[in-house]
Amino acid sequence: MIVVENLYKYYGEYPAVRGVSFEVPKGRVVGFLGPNGAGKSTTMRILAGYLTATSGKASIDGRDVFWDPIEARRRIGYMPESCPLYTDMKVTEYLKFRAGLKGLGWGTRRKRVEYVLERCWLKDVRKQIVGTLSKGYRQRVGLADSLLADPPVLILDEPTAGLDPTQIRETRKLIRELGQQHTMLLSTHILSEVEAACDSVIIIYQGQVAAEGSLAAVRDRYGNQNLEDIFVRLTGQEGVYSASASPGDQPGLYIGR
Amino acid sequence: MRPTLALIKREFTAYFFSPIGFVTLAVFLLVTGRLFGVTMNLLTEPGPRGTEFPMQSLLGDEKFWLVFLFIPPLLTMRLLAEERGSGTLESLMTAPIRDWQVVAGKYIACLMFYVVLWLPTLAYLPVLLDMDPQTWQPRIDCWPVLTSYLGAFLAGAMFLAIGLFVSSLVKSQLVAAMIAMLLSLVFVVAAFWRPDYDTGSLTTKLVTFISVPEHFRRDFTRGILDTRHIVLYATITLLCLFLTVRSLEARRLR
Repeated sequence: MIVVENLYKYYGEYPAVRGVSFEVPKGRVVGFLGPNGAGKSTTMRILAGYLTATSGKASIDGRDVFWDPIEARRRIGYMPESCPLYTDMKVTEYLKFRAGLKGLGWGTRRKRVEYVLERCWLKDVRKQIVGTLSKGYRQRVGLADSLLADPPVLILDEPTAGLDPTQIRETRKLIRELGQQHTMLLSTHILSEVEAACDSVIIIYQGQVAAEGSLAAVRDRYGNQNLEDIFVRLTGQEGVYSASASPGDQPGLYIGR
Repeated sequence: MRPTLALIKREFTAYFFSPIGFVTLAVFLLVTGRLFGVTMNLLTEPGPRGTEFPMQSLLGDEKFWLVFLFIPPLLTMRLLAEERGSGTLESLMTAPIRDWQVVAGKYIACLMFYVVLWLPTLAYLPVLLDMDPQTWQPRIDCWPVLTSYLGAFLAGAMFLAIGLFVSSLVKSQLVAAMIAMLLSLVFVVAAFWRPDYDTGSLTTKLVTFISVPEHFRRDFTRGILDTRHIVLYATITLLCLFLTVRSLEARRLR
């Protein structure tokens, strides 16, 4: 469903993403992990069409995000990091506006807004102004927005950042439910969340894929450690990137031995 | 089409959510109202003083343009700068909407609010046109009024396009407004040195070519449509809108 091939992104001289390739098959929920600044958000922004890659290819459901941006974006529900919203609108108003922006007709617009309000437990704040909502509710509004057009693919950038434990649990439950209907790529720092909600993981470090595969396969490769140990091992050491510079060596594989 | 309409609706209603729209409206009406009072005095003057073109004392006046200078930048400053500042640009640009549709939606919305600013001034027209209270027929030439409104619409469209372009370049609304005012000043302030110029010189030609108050004082408010002015406004409007689309596109390549 999501195919990324040899993606590069330079911010001026600085390479934020260098040669990332991965594939997310239909119906899979994939956790996208990596330390801050590893290139997660950049990769997701390229997939969502906010940034253009320096080189490489990315496609959603067979639609190239550069050559066919509108069709590709129609197939994505994207929730940006920290979830920016128009703070001067009411919740339903905002969702109706977003539904219009996504090209939904008048009839479907009302139906979908009702559906996402129900789905993301927003019914009791529907008339409230977005600016007065708590962080958890705002996050849910962002999530509701990404579901509006019923896209086959959801790309969520840190959907649980800054939430309290109860809210995290609720959001995680919602994500697990949504994972049954949508292909999902979600980035997070909370590793237990990945273990609870995802089928497979992609660990990215310094702009490159350090490990990729189903949870069990990744664990197996690193001698059945828990995900946290694997994460720290792959990304916590300075030597990882320089080691990967030797030809033919994948950074993850090198450390694993 | 649907995404553009949704965007126009949201941007237009946003003017009424914030005080800025109402403040602009109030200031605009205060100034035009005051100038209307001045015009009324001139029209009812008993002696040899008076006015040949009432619209000229309304819109050909320097005081009007000094206040008008602030209005389009105040309307356009938040359009894109606010979205960049708060990060909502990301959700807007990842929706299935083309860049030119974003620009068109925002531009049409601010143009609509600009028209709303002018609507209350229609109340002055019965007096300015000396309408017959029975038949509602104007008793003096109505062309100066029509050309003045057309001129005000086109000149406003140009200033708004300049403001929108500036707003797409910066993150802060205040900076957007100030740079837009500075650029608009080029089209306004040149007229204020008018008396110092030799009328035959190149400087005068240049000044009268780009100075919007001069266009109003000499042409629009007297019922003259000079295509040079209209072409100037239209080309600058289109250029700025084109540059705004490009500036949004360039954002993706950063």
